[in-house]
Amino acid sequence: MPDKLLGWGGTILIIDLSREKGIKKPLEREVAVKFLGGRGLNDYMLYKLVKPGIDPLSPDNVLCLANGALAGTVLPMTSRIHVSTLSPLTGILGDGNAGGDFAAKLKHAGYDQVVVVGRASKPKYVWIEDDTVEIRDASDLWGLTTDELVDALRDEHGDDIAVAGIGPAGEHLVRFASTMVDKFHSGARGTGAVWGSKNLKAIAVRGTKGVELADPETFYELAKLDLEYFKKNEFIKKIYSAIGTHYGLLQWYPGWRYYEKYLGPEELPPGLRPEDFARFEVGRTQCYSCPIGCKDVYRALGTIGYSSEFESIFALGANLGVTDTEYVLKMEHLCDAYGMDVITMGDTLALATFLYQKGILTDKDTEGIKLRWGDAETFLELVEMTAYRKGFGNKLAEGYRNFAKLISEEALKYCYDVKGLNRGWYSVNFLNGVFTLSHATSTRGADHLKGRSWAYWENDRNMDPELPKKLLENGLPDYRKDPVGAVIVSEHACAIADSIGRCKGSINTWPHAIPLVWKYPLWEGVAKVMKAATGYEFTAKDIELAGERIYVLEMLFNIRQGIKRKHYGLPLPPELLNTDEGRKQVEKHNKMVDEYLRRRGFDPKTAYPLPETLKRLGLEFASEDIIGKSYPDWEGPPLWPLDKYPRG
Amino acid sequence: MAQVRLGVKKVLAIDYSRCTGCHLCELACATKHYGVVNPYLARVTVMTQPESPLSIPSVCMQCRDAPCARVCPVNAIRYDEETGAYLIDEARCIGCLECAYVCPYGAIGMDMKGEVIKCDLCGGDPECVKVCPHEALIYGPANKVLPKISRRRAVLVAGIVDAEKILVKEPTETVEKAKEAVKFLYKIWEKVGKKPT
Repeated sequence: MPDKLLGWGGTILIIDLSREKGIKKPLEREVAVKFLGGRGLNDYMLYKLVKPGIDPLSPDNVLCLANGALAGTVLPMTSRIHVSTLSPLTGILGDGNAGGDFAAKLKHAGYDQVVVVGRASKPKYVWIEDDTVEIRDASDLWGLTTDELVDALRDEHGDDIAVAGIGPAGEHLVRFASTMVDKFHSGARGTGAVWGSKNLKAIAVRGTKGVELADPETFYELAKLDLEYFKKNEFIKKIYSAIGTHYGLLQWYPGWRYYEKYLGPEELPPGLRPEDFARFEVGRTQCYSCPIGCKDVYRALGTIGYSSEFESIFALGANLGVTDTEYVLKMEHLCDAYGMDVITMGDTLALATFLYQKGILTDKDTEGIKLRWGDAETFLELVEMTAYRKGFGNKLAEGYRNFAKLISEEALKYCYDVKGLNRGWYSVNFLNGVFTLSHATSTRGADHLKGRSWAYWENDRNMDPELPKKLLENGLPDYRKDPVGAVIVSEHACAIADSIGRCKGSINTWPHAIPLVWKYPLWEGVAKVMKAATGYEFTAKDIELAGERIYVLEMLFNIRQGIKRKHYGLPLPPELLNTDEGRKQVEKHNKMVDEYLRRRGFDPKTAYPLPETLKRLGLEFASEDIIGKSYPDWEGPPLWPLDKYPRG
Repeated sequence: MAQVRLGVKKVLAIDYSRCTGCHLCELACATKHYGVVNPYLARVTVMTQPESPLSIPSVCMQCRDAPCARVCPVNAIRYDEETGAYLIDEARCIGCLECAYVCPYGAIGMDMKGEVIKCDLCGGDPECVKVCPHEALIYGPANKVLPKISRRRAVLVAGIVDAEKILVKEPTETVEKAKEAVKFLYKIWEKVGKKPT
C-alpha cells in the first residue's frame, strides 16, 4: 500500500484564530478508514476537541468543515460539505450538510477538513489556494449579505473560487444562523453563529491540485455506471430535474398553520403549487458534479434568489398560512442572504403566531407587533428583524425552543422539538412509528435527514418502483414489520453518505445517498467505489460498521452534553398528550425507543452504551468519558441576556 | 451550380442552452487523460458559477481553418479525417505555446509536464459527451448534429430576454414543465399508490 493517501486529500487544516495561524496535519490512515471523512471525520475531531459543557458561542467551541472521502471526484453528486460544531441552537451536536462548489474545491486544494478553533480579535477571513493559507482582514466584508460576500471575494481572488461564510445573521449570533456556501447552500443548526462568535466571516478556496485515485480506470467506470442510472431515469428527467423539491409539495404533506393539519396534494392552496413557483423561475442551477439540477433560480419582488426548496415553502409558506408565492420566495431569499435556516425561522414564526393567537404571547412580548396567519408582510419584516436582532426579532433570534423558554412554561408545552430541534409533531401510528422514532433518535434532534426518509423509501418507490424490493431483500428491514430495524439501517446509510461526501438527494433516495445501491445493495457498491478511490480493501462490512461507528460516536458526543433516556421523547400537542390516546402513544413510543437502544448495544434505562459496544466499534478511546460517568441533564444551550448580543 | 449539402465531417457541437454547469465533462476529461480528477487539467472548461443558470462550455472547436495548425512553427498539428480532431504530434511539438496564444477560444493549455493540452476528441469517442447529463455536448457528423441544435435553439430563442445577465425565459415554458411534472407524478401514483401505508 502506498504511503501517500490516495482518494483523500491527505491533509487536515487547523485554523487557530486566536493565534492567527494555519497549521497543516496529515490525515492518519487509521482515522480515515474508520471514519471515512466528512461527517465521520468531523465527529471524531469534535469528540476529541470539544469539552463537555462549554458555551457554544465561546472561543472554546470548535467548527469543523469536511468534504467527504469522495468529494471532488468524478463520481456524480460528491459535492457536499459537512459542517459540524456544538450547536448554539440546541446545545448538542449541531451539524449541517451543504452543496455548492466548496467541498470539491477544498478537496482539489488537497484538504479533507478545516478545523477552526479560538477567536480572532477582529473580523477575519481565510484564503486557501492549494498549499497557501492566509488569515486575512475582513473588516470590509463584515456586514455583507451572502450574495455580496461571494461577489466581493470573487472580485478579490478570481471567479474560479468557492466560498463558505456567513451573512448578517451569523454576525449577530442568531442561534439558527447557517453556514452559507456559494451564496445559497446552507449548513444549518446554528453553525453560522459559531463563525460569528469567532469573528470569522468566510473561507475562500481555489484548488488546482485535483484528486489522485488509486485505481482511476475502475473508479471512472463505476462513476459512469452510477451516472447512467440517473441519466436514464424518467422520474428524474420529468419531475426531479424539472421542479426539484417542489415535488415534495405534493408528496410530503407540508404542515399548515403550525401543524394544525398536514396538506395532501389536493388540499394545497393556490399559490403554493409547483406551477405557481414555476411562474417566477428564470432558470435552473445545481451543485458541483450533479447531473440533476434540482435548484431553481427565481425572481420575486424585484430580487433574484436561488433554490426555493420544499422546506422553505413549507416552513415560510404553508406553516405560516402564507399563500402569496412571491412573498414566500422573497422570505426564502432573505433567509439565504442573511444566512439563516429557513426551517427554524419558519417554525419559530409559526410557534410565535400560534402562541399569540392563543393569548400566551402578548403585545408586550412582541413589542406591539400583531401576529396573524397569512400576514406575509409582517413575517417578511420579522425575518429581517431576526437577522439583525432588532426589537422583537431579538427574541425570535434565540430560535424555537429557546424562544419559547423566554416566554413562559406554557409556551414550552407547545414546542414540538426533540433535543431542541423542531420538525413538527406526528402520531406514533403514522407509518408504523418511523417518523416519531427517527425524530427521537436523530443525533441532532428531530430531523428528517439522519435516517427517517430512507427508512420508508417513499421517494425511491416513485423514482424506481423495482428498488424497494431489492433493498428489502438485501438488508433493509421492512418498516411495516420492523420499524426499529429500518430506522437503524437508514441512520447508517445517511452517516455513510455524509461521510463520503455524497448528496443524499434533495428528494431523499437510496440511490442518491448510497452510490450503486441499485446494482450492489446495500453497501457493496460504496465498498467498490471507496476501494477504487483509496486503494484500501474496503468490504461491505467495513462500510456498514463505519456507518454504525459514526452514528454511535455522535450519540456519545451528546451523552457528554447531558442527553439521557428521557430526552428521546415524543413531541405531542398538550391537548393530546393528557388523554388516554396520548398516553397510549407515549407508551408505544417508549417501547420502540427501548428496543432501539437495546439493538444499538445501549442500556435502554440510561441510554448509555454498554462497554462491549464501544469495543466492537473501535470506540474504546471514548470509554473513560462515558462508562460509569454522569453528566448534568441537558437543558438546551446556555442563553445570554438579550442585551449582550450584537444588535444592528 | 455545384450541389451544396450539409457536411459529414464529425464535429463536437455545443448546445449552450442545455449546459447546466455541473462540470462532469471537465472531471471525466481529466480522469480519462491523466487519471487525476482535476478540472484544471481538462481540455474542456465550463464557465459558470454555482448560482448561474447560464453556463458556457469552452472546448476546441476543431476549426476548419485552424489558427493553431497554421502558426505551429514545426507543423506538429495535423487534422485527423477519421475523428475530426486536430492532433498534436508530441514528438514534434517544441512546447512554444504559439498555438495557445492564437486560439480564439483559449482552448489550448499546458500540463504539469510542459506538454500542450488540447482536445483530441478521445480518438473519436469523447468522454465529455458520454458523461454530459443533458446532451449539451453532442458528437457526430455535422449533417446530423447541427440541425438538432438548430431546432432546439429556434424553440428557445423566442423567449430569451437579457436582464441582469440572467437568462429570462417566458414563464409559460416553466409553468408547462411544472404541470407536466405534476401530471407525471399522478401517473406514477396510479402504479405505486399515492402514499406508503
